[in-house]
Amino acid sequence: MPESNIQTIMSVGIDIGTTTTQLVISRLTIENTASGTFVPHVEITDKEVIHRSEIYITPLSDRDLIDAVAVSKIVETEYLVAGLTPENIDTGAVIITGETAKKENAKAIIDALAGYAGDFVVATAGANLEGIYAGKGSGAAAFSVQRHQVVANIDVGGGTSNYAMFHEGKAVETTCLNVGGHLIEFERQGDRITYISEPAKIALQSAGQRLEVGERITLPQLRPVVKAMAACVVEVLKTTKQSELTRALLMTPTLRLEHTIRKVMISGGVADYVYAPQGPVTMMEVTEFGDFGPLLGWELKLCLETAGFVLEKPNETVRATVIGTGTQSVNLSGSTIHLQEKTLPLRNVMVISPFSSTIPDTVQGIGKAIKNEMLRLQANQSEGSVALALKGPRTMTFVNINLLAQGVLLGMEEYLSQNKPLVLVIEADCGKVLGQCINANANRPLEMVCIDQLEVEDCDYIDIGKPLMGGRVVPVVLKTLVFNR
Amino acid sequence: MAVANNELEKVIIQSVLEELAKKGLLPSKGKDHVMSSAMQDTPLYSNTSSEEMVTFPPLDEMQISKPFNADAVKAMKKSTPARIGIGRAGARPKTMSWLRFLADHAVAQDAVFLDVSDEFLKQNNLMTVQSAVTSKDEFLTRPDLGRRLSEEAVKTITEKCEKNVQVQILVVDGLSSTAIEANIPDLLPALMQGLKSAGIKVGAPFFVKYGRVWVQDPIANLVKADVIVSLIGERPGLGTAESLSAYMIYQPNEKTVEADRTVVSNIHKGGIPPAEAGAHLSDVVQQILTAKASGVKFNQQK
Repeated sequence: MPESNIQTIMSVGIDIGTTTTQLVISRLTIENTASGTFVPHVEITDKEVIHRSEIYITPLSDRDLIDAVAVSKIVETEYLVAGLTPENIDTGAVIITGETAKKENAKAIIDALAGYAGDFVVATAGANLEGIYAGKGSGAAAFSVQRHQVVANIDVGGGTSNYAMFHEGKAVETTCLNVGGHLIEFERQGDRITYISEPAKIALQSAGQRLEVGERITLPQLRPVVKAMAACVVEVLKTTKQSELTRALLMTPTLRLEHTIRKVMISGGVADYVYAPQGPVTMMEVTEFGDFGPLLGWELKLCLETAGFVLEKPNETVRATVIGTGTQSVNLSGSTIHLQEKTLPLRNVMVISPFSSTIPDTVQGIGKAIKNEMLRLQANQSEGSVALALKGPRTMTFVNINLLAQGVLLGMEEYLSQNKPLVLVIEADCGKVLGQCINANANRPLEMVCIDQLEVEDCDYIDIGKPLMGGRVVPVVLKTLVFNR
Repeated sequence: MAVANNELEKVIIQSVLEELAKKGLLPSKGKDHVMSSAMQDTPLYSNTSSEEMVTFPPLDEMQISKPFNADAVKAMKKSTPARIGIGRAGARPKTMSWLRFLADHAVAQDAVFLDVSDEFLKQNNLMTVQSAVTSKDEFLTRPDLGRRLSEEAVKTITEKCEKNVQVQILVVDGLSSTAIEANIPDLLPALMQGLKSAGIKVGAPFFVKYGRVWVQDPIANLVKADVIVSLIGERPGLGTAESLSAYMIYQPNEKTVEADRTVVSNIHKGGIPPAEAGAHLSDVVQQILTAKASGVKFNQQK
């Protein structure tokens, strides 16, 4: 049985945002890092970005609708430049972010990219996930591990600011604020307003400014509005009791601020102006890209410094989200994998967590809890597969693990009778033995994936890709499909 | 002046002692007695004969008085069971660290010197045979004898064990009886279940007292098993005394050397959890049976 100990896979990340669309292709090295006397542990050991696309202006067919065909053209062109074909791509994700994260857009893009995006690329969206990918791509997550300091990463793009706070590499809090550099549009390098978005109108009203499309504006007129927006961005880091304006602009529940923030990193299109040596001094400089991004960046820097936050420079600014999407969206997971080749990939597997706190101590109790949750979510009626997410058995004893296995089989009776694969995701290190117990207790061979040491908290769906490393691991992508509004 | 001071001191001591007594920190004897003992500077709480258990503060408790970056210390402590981030008193360890060190050392010694209890063996349905060693001292000083079986053991195994099985599992005390008692109840049933599900013929597991790794070779020849799995207590350290290893050998003979054995080590609740290890070992045994080889030869086939 030849088992390769090292393998590389190609991962694509595509970020379709309010303002820009980007793509990166990365080579991920996966390796068994456990020495021979230990249980094999396969992980991603190296991530190398091998192709960065140009930064395209997101093609729109009208203000809120993405031109999906044009997006697929961009992807095609970039593959050509990188010298790759869709067959070379093993995994990856398309993330639809900011103002464009709307259901109809996601659907259109998935359809349009189906032919270009390889065998296993998933579309994903959601403000929280975007913030996390941006923080991983910017280097904030890695910084929090290396320096053991809590880092808040804010990805300030065209339409939104996505926050993710990292503690020892783990995203502990996220939120999203409707502030971005593209909320008011101007004639390029000019001073005439061409568009004012809804959130900008709220900010204008709050600053007592009256501006209309078609008006010309001076820097002293614009600055207070942008300052107010920057202040909102900073206020979210400072307090949980915010001003009316900040509350109006928050798109998700705010940060709980349970950790003391030691460093702040800004990524996203506006970031380069945060770290610039000086701010824009003329309207021409402000509206270089037809928006007020440069001014927002500069005002944000001043506001953060005034509030006493220490700014740290990220490794990636405007490309943070796309790099995070391409390199960080994939988890590898091993343990028990009894699947026929044709069953994979499994897409949009609904994650259900039947146990809120403790696991019942009887087979019947466990079975009943699972049945109730399956019933509540009408999971047996839906066509797709379901993944049971568990923290672990009651205790790590064999008796309790075996009990859990029997309870799972009981609770999933109806689901399994439909010949659907059993998918278990467990946080504790017992995926092999749990899988073995389920096999031993089942009255027939089951199609099953039992993966361990993976947290799927806050995630609604997972995708499971085709096995790698001689069938020992499968790539798992966690998704939240919480679309904005 | 001196008298006044003395009076003041008495009042202070008395009020402190009353406060302590209220909180139940003093033996509730007569006030006068307590007072006088305080004056005489003798230990108030002289319960040295007590055998009461002392509880250590949790391991992750911050012991550095003014850490520059407490998060960093916590993260580093979490990454290793080694004694780091324990602070200091001058050039010496703090009392609590020193006591913990002594306690861990005692646990390690117990693991070596205690025997696996008869009750445990009975509960887990394990028959006992003994190596050629006759006592604990001899076991520690004569590794060669721990690798051979006593005449009685040869007889027992020949009479009682099933022959020509695919797999024979041994539980061997080795250098930690603690490891056996801590891991076998979860490991063994998981391993047996895995092998049974795979349809592999397994002999009834039994216990070898005063055994070393190599004792598996003569047993393999007696029971004529293809694979012998020895679950043996590892030499305890100050980190854990509960660590267990599994040594596996395919059809050993007189030419067998260390490199022919496959090992899975570090089985304990802080390493590979025992139940999970059982399931993993069942996989490894199946691979060894297919490969008809163990150790380096097995790895080269991978």
